[in-house]
Amino acid sequence: MVVLIVAVQGAFQTRASIADTFDRVGKMQRAQIDLQEMLRLQINEEDSVRGYVLTKDPFYTQQYMLSALSWVAKEKAVHDAVVDEHLVDALRMLNQYDNVQNDWRREVALPLLEHPSRDVAALDKSSKLFIDFQARAADAVRNALVRTSVALSRSTQDQINRSSYVRAFWLLVFGLLAILFNAYGSRLTRELEEERTVTRALQQAFRSDHVPLPNCEVGSSYLSATGRLRVGGDVFDVFRLDGGKALIVIADVSGKGVDAAALTTFVRFTVRAIALRNEDPAAVLDEFNAAFADTVRDPSLFITMLVGILDCKAGSLTYASAGHDSAYLRRSSGVQALPVTGPLVGVMRAPYTSKTMILAAGDTIVLATDGLTEARTRSGDLLGEQGAMQWIASGPPGAQALADDIARRVRRRSGNRPNDDLALLVIRIGEPASEA
Amino acid sequence: MRHSILRTAAVAVLAILCSAAAIAACHVHPRERVVLFGVGDDPGVFLWDSRFRLRAYHSTSFDEAQALLPHALLLAAGTRAIVITCYRNDVQPKYSLSPEDAVEVRVLTGPQRGRTGWVIGGDIQVLATRR
Repeated sequence: MVVLIVAVQGAFQTRASIADTFDRVGKMQRAQIDLQEMLRLQINEEDSVRGYVLTKDPFYTQQYMLSALSWVAKEKAVHDAVVDEHLVDALRMLNQYDNVQNDWRREVALPLLEHPSRDVAALDKSSKLFIDFQARAADAVRNALVRTSVALSRSTQDQINRSSYVRAFWLLVFGLLAILFNAYGSRLTRELEEERTVTRALQQAFRSDHVPLPNCEVGSSYLSATGRLRVGGDVFDVFRLDGGKALIVIADVSGKGVDAAALTTFVRFTVRAIALRNEDPAAVLDEFNAAFADTVRDPSLFITMLVGILDCKAGSLTYASAGHDSAYLRRSSGVQALPVTGPLVGVMRAPYTSKTMILAAGDTIVLATDGLTEARTRSGDLLGEQGAMQWIASGPPGAQALADDIARRVRRRSGNRPNDDLALLVIRIGEPASEA
Repeated sequence: MRHSILRTAAVAVLAILCSAAAIAACHVHPRERVVLFGVGDDPGVFLWDSRFRLRAYHSTSFDEAQALLPHALLLAAGTRAIVITCYRNDVQPKYSLSPEDAVEVRVLTGPQRGRTGWVIGGDIQVLATRR
């Protein structure tokens, strides 16, 4: 931007300078024309004097006066131009020209106009002297004006050349910058497109299909945080087990990008495999924690997750929470948070405990990642746990409708630019089916 | 005596050579018939009684030039003359870049017929009938 401003300012200065020089050249050329006109008027004066001497016709005296007055006016114009350009020698010669002209009027013209019967021939020699010196002075002034005009024209040409070089330079600079920016932009666009492709594929792969659960209604939603759609480590899963039970999982892997996304795949399928052998959520978390520690050797990575075994027929939920605090149960009496039952996965080896809750028809389990409680307004205000519980309490009864409502509120709160990814899994317990 | 003769001869030869060189370089030649016609605003021509006054007139101030006027005759434009001798670029007018020749002529026509004197080369027009 600074470069652009400097270039534009330089162009305007050059233009002003060239315009000024052109103006000065114009003045010099007008002065040369005025000087030529002075010589013509000088000859008119002489011719008028001779005409009067020969004819005694007053017409010639009038012509003489008119020519003399015009000569004075032109001399003033040339004088001003010479002074403006500080042409000292030319000014001296112009003054000499003026003096000689005045001397000629006093010593030759006026005596002849007053006494036209005088011998003209007697004055011819001195008249010739005057004319010769007037011509010399005029030549000197003209030479000075021409020299100045030539110098100014050369200066103008130099300025135009310099301006052309400078313009060419800036054109080259901006051209190169445009090429570089274009190349950089193309590269960014290509990388972004590649990342979007990978992201879409991964996000598609991570989202659990809606597995129909008997006597339960399942809803889900997913919001991506960034404009560049960098995939996050948020994942949820619903997986049917034997006996009308279902494994429900929600997890938030630290970090972003393809590595975090790949880790969510590990979470999803490892937990499923463990749960197939052991339906105790605490045992699942214990085993998963050990597997995570053995497999992922990056101490900066950790996971918050909740594993639950939902029995839709019996109406119960047994869960274990590894530091995952965005889990809620909405009942007719209100909304309660599901307490954490153990440390984060990947931080330490510690035993997890399971907790069982009896569910009634209409009870709704809401599992979210931290994109819910950390939903910020543009001024940075967090929603918090109480805010999340209020949204859940006031949300619509249907599972999918509630998931969509919460996602819409998060989007609106953040001005359509959520600051974190959000995964939502909502399960509503239906009326128990009557036993036949 | 012998040295004196040799020195005189050498000076004479040198003078002749210089004069010849000067004449050879001029654009008019001795015995050439010419017309006198001033190229300035006044076509009359000053005929000066010496080459040095001719040079002084063209290189001095107005007041000094005025003082020189008694040594000049004003010839009418068109006066005919014959070239006696010529000095190439001998006169440097005060405010002109190019020098002028100094030409000695004898007047052939007009009231000053028979007079000799000096004019500048710019006031001389060569007669077309010369060749």
